[in-house]
Amino acid sequence: MKRKSLLAAALCAATALSSPAFAETVLRLDEVAVGELDPAKASDYADSILMFNVYDTLVLPQQGGPGHVPHLASDWSVDGSTYTFNLRDDVTFQSGNPLRAEDVVYSLERSQALGSGLSYLLAGVSAEAVDEHIVVFSLEQPYAPFVASLVRLPIVDKALVEAKKGDDEWGEAFLSANGAGTGAYTVTSHNPQEETVMAKNDGYFLGVSDVAPDTVRLRYGLEAATVRTLIAQGEHDISSQWLPPEVMTALANDGAQLFSETGTGAFYLKMNTTKPPLDDVNCRLALAHAFDYQTAIQMVAITDDVSSGSAATGAIPVGMFGANGPDNVQAQNLEKAAEYLSACAYDPADMNIEVSWIAEVPLEERFALLFQSNLSQLGVQSEIKKLPWALFAEQVSKPENTPHVSQIFVNAVTGDPDTLLYGMYHSSTPGTWQSPEYLNDSQVDAFLDAGRSASTDEEREAAYSGLNARLMEIAPTIYGYDRQSVFAASNRVKAPALSDPSQAFGLDGMGFSFRLMEMVEE
Amino acid sequence: MSPVLRLLLRRLGISLIVLIGVSMLIFTIARVIPGDPARIALGPNATPEQVANLRAEMHLDEPLVLQYGHFLADVSRGDLGTSLYTNRPVTLDIAQFLPATLELVLIAGIIMVALGLPLGILAARYRGRWPDHLIRIFSLLTVSAPSFVWAVILMLLFAFYLPIFPIAGRISDIYDIDRHTGFLLIDTLLAGNIAAFGDAIRHLILPAVALALSGIGQAARLTRANMVETYDKPYIEMAQAYGFFPSRIARIYAFKPSLIPSLTIIGLDFAAMLGNAFLVEAVFAWPGLSRYGVAVILRKDLNAIMGTVLIIALTFLIVNVIVDLLIAFLNPRIRHSTRAT
Repeated sequence: MKRKSLLAAALCAATALSSPAFAETVLRLDEVAVGELDPAKASDYADSILMFNVYDTLVLPQQGGPGHVPHLASDWSVDGSTYTFNLRDDVTFQSGNPLRAEDVVYSLERSQALGSGLSYLLAGVSAEAVDEHIVVFSLEQPYAPFVASLVRLPIVDKALVEAKKGDDEWGEAFLSANGAGTGAYTVTSHNPQEETVMAKNDGYFLGVSDVAPDTVRLRYGLEAATVRTLIAQGEHDISSQWLPPEVMTALANDGAQLFSETGTGAFYLKMNTTKPPLDDVNCRLALAHAFDYQTAIQMVAITDDVSSGSAATGAIPVGMFGANGPDNVQAQNLEKAAEYLSACAYDPADMNIEVSWIAEVPLEERFALLFQSNLSQLGVQSEIKKLPWALFAEQVSKPENTPHVSQIFVNAVTGDPDTLLYGMYHSSTPGTWQSPEYLNDSQVDAFLDAGRSASTDEEREAAYSGLNARLMEIAPTIYGYDRQSVFAASNRVKAPALSDPSQAFGLDGMGFSFRLMEMVEE
Repeated sequence: MSPVLRLLLRRLGISLIVLIGVSMLIFTIARVIPGDPARIALGPNATPEQVANLRAEMHLDEPLVLQYGHFLADVSRGDLGTSLYTNRPVTLDIAQFLPATLELVLIAGIIMVALGLPLGILAARYRGRWPDHLIRIFSLLTVSAPSFVWAVILMLLFAFYLPIFPIAGRISDIYDIDRHTGFLLIDTLLAGNIAAFGDAIRHLILPAVALALSGIGQAARLTRANMVETYDKPYIEMAQAYGFFPSRIARIYAFKPSLIPSLTIIGLDFAAMLGNAFLVEAVFAWPGLSRYGVAVILRKDLNAIMGTVLIIALTFLIVNVIVDLLIAFLNPRIRHSTRAT
């Protein structure tokens, strides 16, 4: 009896002693997918957050505006297809090694050799270190978005990776668990099932403000209910963008602030232009005019002021080269839709439009139902198909298996329209998840090629404006809304890059540069 | 050879055959379900060339039989391949995530047995009276709602409205404990950190109770039913006629024979918790193997699926063998039989 009492007392004491107390500022946020630490394999949102904090790139997107500014580079010059970058001489890696031109060459070659992540952006590019601080890139052919693509070339500490790689040629195992960058945060632990913990790098070449978080915990795979409870209890700071809108709304009603990152992408209903009746442009235009754009935006509204989507003004999201002005907002027009439908070569009574949605994105089911009701207003029958991502990616590889309408979110991975539109519409890239339209249009190809080879911003603007107009004319896609990522956050954190448009980077994940955040007492 | 040893060898032999069968079945199912694992692993931005290269690296462009041959050759070297989900060796993932699930399931199992059996005994002992009715309602409630519902209810009640227990994770961030065994209750004690031990217990209570609740109801219902049946046996009447104390009758003459069928079900429940823990792990952000298993299935991460399923199947078989031995120990007809069943 006495022993039992002692044990109970010990447990009670242990429990009582275990109340945590933080002595440092800790930022806690979450992402659905596990973050990939190896920068050459980074592709999704969680990977980008890690990459932009642990590593640096030669250039950064200009905050609050178009273009790029030097970052690890002090400046650069362009001569045809040759780009010469001068590196800053005051940058050291987290290991203490100085940044040299050969690190840049190594990072490019490593990315190309592994062929993972976004390495395709820099295919056909070679680099040479002409001296310790000058690196020259040569492109096989003109590629106007090259500088924009460099935001996806994080610079790796070659000497450290060479020292740690063992038999592993490119040090994949080492870089999957450790950081080797110049970034403002160092990786202190990485558990793919749980979290990646990062600490402030006091030796960062730009310095890190005292008010920036000392430690950052990027948690993975938290359930919406868990995130909701954690934020409400003050045990979590920033949610992922994947919380259901109603949970975001509930958190906002409880006093949480809402951060947003203006997307460089959109929500699309992509029409298979090879499959009857959508091989007829009039039929596609009828569907495009039947879609209820306004209700779609209301469906992703979180509060009266904040929404995950803004009205599309055409085929190119607002803020990019070639985007239309705000007076071109897409709107439902059933009269015009009926007009186009009557001009369609197919009988509406025989139509049965398959509308697919990705099983992993439940929000898309709501849009499918909305579109189904819009089509029924036109007297067109439709069928909703739920497709797991894996099955969808497989089905779209053949035009005959591709549904009539595929709902997809697409983002420009560099912020440049080329990375958004070339893969969607160029006739050389059909049959991927981005291009279930199977579009084959010589004018579209010409505009896309012109956008790549243009040498000035004005030429690019003209090319993408022409492309925008042509796409609206042939309607391969219904441009649902321009996407915006929204995050619920506690009031312990300030993130100007996620709350002030003049500080925004216009590139997914870069708003989560922790060095620019501020931890405050509530 | 003793009957028990013969039973053990026979069960181990059958387990090995089952394990091989499971590996073949899962290997085939994982490969025939729709979706290209290389495409999923590389993400939406990968080019067709990148996807083709990974497919070749994973031998996915070879016939199924050859692929299984590669798998067996790798397993014989202790290599379960690399997970496309975590980009780490599957063995490392399992070594890291299995202890978290085992710790959770073991504690849940202890709670299930410690509460389920006594409640069953109590209900049978007071059959038809208020304790019996109360326990039967409780059992019905716990059995009828799945674990994740209990997980959310418990979280709301005891972590949100009454913030007594932590919401997520295995231990608070302030404790930096060296993971020698992966079992935090042991590692915190090895570190001599009593506060961290208490914190680990606090983190365990809600997920373990959520996971155990339906098992408690199941064990209580089963134990009650078996004991009620045993109470109707003539030898119990005889014991009562001899004037034995009711507690002695319940404990020795009614409970022991009733335990045999209950034990089988409890054993199966216990092993099934390994696979079923994933929703509880998801709700409480518990970094365990079950949650990992679901994540890798959704991403069609073939190596990780094989590794996880084999480990869960192996644990299931081990628990089954242990249950068989316990039953043999409890049942003299098996223990002393010349032919093991």
